Amino acid sequence: MIHWLRLHRLALLATLRLILAHPLASLFNLLVIGIAVALPLGLYALVSNLQGLAGQLPTETQASVFLHTNAGPADIGRVQTLLSQDPAIASARHINKHQALKDLEQTSGMADLLAGLGDNPLPDSFELTLKDGASTDLAALQTRLKADAAIEYVQLDSEWAQRLASIIRLGREAALTVAALFGAALMLITANLIRMQILTRREEIEVSKLIGATDSFIRRPFLYFAAVQGLLGALVGIALVGLGLNRLNGPVSQLASLYGQSFQLHLPSPPVLGLSLSTVALLSLFGATLSVGKHLRSIGN
Amino acid sequence: MIQFNQVSKRYPGGFEALKNLSFQIDAGELVFLAGHSGAGKSTLLKLIAGIDRPTAGSVVVNGQNLASISRGALPFLRRHIGLIFQDHKILFDRTVFDNVMLPLDIVGYDRREAARRARAALDKVGLLGREKLNPISLSGGEQQRLCIARAVVHRPSILLADEPTGNLDRAYALDIMELFKSFHQVGVTIVISAHDESLMADYGRRILRLNKGQFTQ
Repeated sequence: MIHWLRLHRLALLATLRLILAHPLASLFNLLVIGIAVALPLGLYALVSNLQGLAGQLPTETQASVFLHTNAGPADIGRVQTLLSQDPAIASARHINKHQALKDLEQTSGMADLLAGLGDNPLPDSFELTLKDGASTDLAALQTRLKADAAIEYVQLDSEWAQRLASIIRLGREAALTVAALFGAALMLITANLIRMQILTRREEIEVSKLIGATDSFIRRPFLYFAAVQGLLGALVGIALVGLGLNRLNGPVSQLASLYGQSFQLHLPSPPVLGLSLSTVALLSLFGATLSVGKHLRSIGN
Repeated sequence: MIQFNQVSKRYPGGFEALKNLSFQIDAGELVFLAGHSGAGKSTLLKLIAGIDRPTAGSVVVNGQNLASISRGALPFLRRHIGLIFQDHKILFDRTVFDNVMLPLDIVGYDRREAARRARAALDKVGLLGREKLNPISLSGGEQQRLCIARAVVHRPSILLADEPTGNLDRAYALDIMELFKSFHQVGVTIVISAHDESLMADYGRRILRLNKGQFTQ
């Protein structure tokens, strides 16, 4: 056990020495990995931040139905029944046109102007809350309701929120796709870096084999190197995303304040970061394993 | 210790380096291998170390038949063998000391004990004062000594030396031969190849003479 630990410590030390021995080359490698990590992670960060923002918006689907201004009590009663029987509607609240005018007078401060109008220009309206799942068939609901002669206009209040949600879903998928692509690229990059290392250390490998090194003894430093390099590269990637978000935060909070909101972009949560780190390390390790397995056999006996 | 039974080695391309050789080397014996370049000396040593495999016959070292040894078992056999190469195969990316440490690192020796042994080996070949140097600054003879220190540091029971004195002047060569003699005195089985028989004659040991892959008398 101690013997085994000693061999691993030796390999880890050799790895760190190797990274420090070629600082510039190591830095470039870490930057390459870092950028490969930063692109999908950055995209993910933006998408999940947007999602956080969208989460503050009303998520249940709402719609408003406006009647013609000349609609009478009979029309209102008929529409009320129609709405309460529609399978897509959870509840409907009637807003009386007189009440609506009074509300407008109070909130807008245009009482004088409104008092100057002879007639009430506002129609009777209904505020609808739709059932879950009904959102998929909004267009159908719209045509269904418009068939009634008294209904002039159906407005889907949360349509834009749903569009935003779709865009976020799309962004999420894009982030995953980009992550998969860059993950594969990362594996190939590592495999190639390890291949070059094996070639430059060919002599050492040859001599080691001749004096009794097992395959795993020879393989071990390369695997450690790949894993450590992957981890450090992923940290560089996270740092890059952090810098990028920090840069965006100024304009973003300015934009948010225009809408009377305060909003800041954040790095993904620690579990997500941890997952990215270990995924990158594992991918690097896998790439290195492929490369080492392929190239070690070609060296010596 | 080392036993060849009707061993032949043919390289890809058809060149037959060894033809039907049978001999035995006992434990603790010092044997010279003589012959011109291309006579098959290096091939014979490679077969003993498991670097090449025979095309026919059996090579038994330490009780293991190398014609059928598994890839996984080979490193453990090699740990009983010290190899000294004509081209030294010294690593120039590390110090003299770290070159000698390599065989002990491979076995996973305790670091302090390993360092003690490495220094003892360097002392034995007269390089103790130069352990921190890069081997590139050593002369040809000193590099050969370094190679010997690396070959004996893990105390192998068999020492194989391929033309260890090939590029050295006579005084240096005699020094090296004295070193081998001292290892022989502590019971190591040694096979030394050389094309210059004048060095061997002084020792009165068994000489295997190779010519075109066969023994001659």
